Amino acid sequence: MADKVSEVVAVAVTKTMKKNKDLARLLTAASCALVSGLSTTTHADDSWDVDSAFLLYSESDSRVSAVEPVVSATKNYDEETKLNFKIVADTLTGASPNGATPSDQVQTFTSPSGKSSYNATAGEQPLDDTFKDTRIALSSNWSAPINRDWAYGVGGYLSAEHDYRSLGVNGNLSRYLNQKNTTLTLGLNLSNDAVTPEGGVPTGLHQIPLDRSDSEFTQRSDSENKNLVDAVFGVTQVINSKTIMQFNYALSTSSGYLTDPYKMLSVIDDTAGSNFGGNFQSGGNNVYLYEKRPDSRLKQSIYWQTKHQFDNSDVLDVSYRFMFDDWGVNSHTIDAKYRFRFDNQYLEPQLRWYTQSKADFYNRYLTSSDYTNTSLASADYRLGDLDTYTIGLRYGYEFADNTEFYTRFSLYHQESSGEKGIGKLASQELYPGLDSMMLIMGYKF
Amino acid sequence: MIGNKSLTFTTALFCSIAFSSFTWAAELTPSSNVKAAPHQSVQLPSYQGEQVSLKSQKGKILLVDFWASWCGPCRESFPWMTNIQAKYKDQGLKIIAINLDQAKEQALDFLKEYKPGFTVLFDSDALLPEDFGVIGMPTSYLIDRQGNIRATHIGFHNENLADYESAITQLLAEKGE
Amino acid sequence: MRGVSGIFGLISITIALTGCSDLGVKPWERGILAQQEMNLINEPIESSLNDHIYFSKEASSGGQGFGGGGCGCN
Repeated sequence: MADKVSEVVAVAVTKTMKKNKDLARLLTAASCALVSGLSTTTHADDSWDVDSAFLLYSESDSRVSAVEPVVSATKNYDEETKLNFKIVADTLTGASPNGATPSDQVQTFTSPSGKSSYNATAGEQPLDDTFKDTRIALSSNWSAPINRDWAYGVGGYLSAEHDYRSLGVNGNLSRYLNQKNTTLTLGLNLSNDAVTPEGGVPTGLHQIPLDRSDSEFTQRSDSENKNLVDAVFGVTQVINSKTIMQFNYALSTSSGYLTDPYKMLSVIDDTAGSNFGGNFQSGGNNVYLYEKRPDSRLKQSIYWQTKHQFDNSDVLDVSYRFMFDDWGVNSHTIDAKYRFRFDNQYLEPQLRWYTQSKADFYNRYLTSSDYTNTSLASADYRLGDLDTYTIGLRYGYEFADNTEFYTRFSLYHQESSGEKGIGKLASQELYPGLDSMMLIMGYKF
Repeated sequence: MIGNKSLTFTTALFCSIAFSSFTWAAELTPSSNVKAAPHQSVQLPSYQGEQVSLKSQKGKILLVDFWASWCGPCRESFPWMTNIQAKYKDQGLKIIAINLDQAKEQALDFLKEYKPGFTVLFDSDALLPEDFGVIGMPTSYLIDRQGNIRATHIGFHNENLADYESAITQLLAEKGE
Repeated sequence: MRGVSGIFGLISITIALTGCSDLGVKPWERGILAQQEMNLINEPIESSLNDHIYFSKEASSGGQGFGGGGCGCN
């Protein structure tokens, strides 16, 4: 569902190519070293654990739908030494809000490539339906103890779709204390992403041209980059024989191209008169601008999770996350699951609540009097005030041979909110909600 | 931003950690500097039926192994212990595996599957492990004919099997009484 | 940046609390914690599929970190 380029980053493709080759070489060398190291320590009861699953995701109002198969295979060298490979593919189709406001008039939008256009009827949410993508992601992780007191893990991943590519490495180091009742973990993740949008990289806050013959199109670069560095510091604590708790602090910095090249903003006429609150026009055409986000972001979060098993063997899993960043977004997430366990089956109801406050540069629209003085703006509802709710139910059945079938159905609901809109815009639905459903079916063997 | 330099450094860091090796002491503690095994007279019920105390086995070399059914390395150690018991029985080795499951049924299920070729005792109330100083599962103690702890192994690591066995043979080679 | 110092404060308190207290269990009391269900991330596939959805629909992501639990055997 990676919303095409929902969260992007990187460096011009030509520049990156070389770097990526080096990185690939490094990864290969590292994995060779690991594999050769492994072959000397293999044991009789080595085993592969495979978890394979299939996700169906569908949004109401024929917006995005997706299918996503996953296969994860883990080789267990012993209790704590594991090698995991994971492959994920997803295909999504459908339409996604382009950021423009609905209007009492028919609106025409230039497609991202500039080769065609699409319409939104009066009162209709402007959706970009040129939206279809397939993504493949590969990842691998190795984790092992160093000695009784230390353990480590290393991993790498690659994800590619037609307009986006992400490459990353990660590592973590754990220290056990207090007879392994306390674990301190430091994790680090580095990634480099490249976005090559259809039609090239648009100029932020530039008026969207009618077609690709415009000079804005001809001067575009093909690709942009972003770099991410994530660090997590965590404490895991055994509370008693039935309760375990984790507390994390995470710091995440991204820099480079963080804008969504397919999102735009409407410019609304705020001069008194008959068009007050209507689309501002220039040369007989509505004015829409490409969005523009800052070129860096620093996110911080604290996370707390507790798991407790009751005397009847049921398991409660509760977590809370508070995140804040220098874009002005604050968010709270509460997630709770309760697993009813029967002999060889379980039933697990789940609830999740998420709320976020809007980014400083989020604007549902710009106005004719201020749009030329704006330096950053996005109308992406995902950066606006948002509340989301998930309700789900998971069921699992374990067969006599220790394989497990499971399925999970969940409903996801989003509510956006914000400033009402001026003049005749106020009668438009500026903050539509979203409902979607998710179905997972999987088999572990 | 992520220069090759920092990447190389990170990789190097993890590799150096990954390949640093750790060995487990194979040598026996000299008999002048040992501690007697605690609770030698405590009687525990055995899987085989009778009540057994460590004291009742005096004169033998004992391998006392603390384990539980939920512990992966313990599972791995069972075939090895069966094998070693058979191999050194005639030379006076006695393996006593003390189960610490809080729910005895789980231990019984496990034993049905892993048929031990050695003595298994149940210490469901965990009378022994604290004073033995068990800090991981499994932990095994090699006890000489005088009842003194001469070697300790925490965990069960396939790469250390030769060391475990050599400690046993060294101790078996020591003169009795 | 006030938030940062607050967070470091909280972490220090947590470490102080967890590191110096009697919290925890003996190695032979981990039978329940060793169960797969008690791993902090016991369904990694479901978690990753969910995170993917939330990542593409919300402004926050990550922070959850890593698994934990298990038998802590040796």
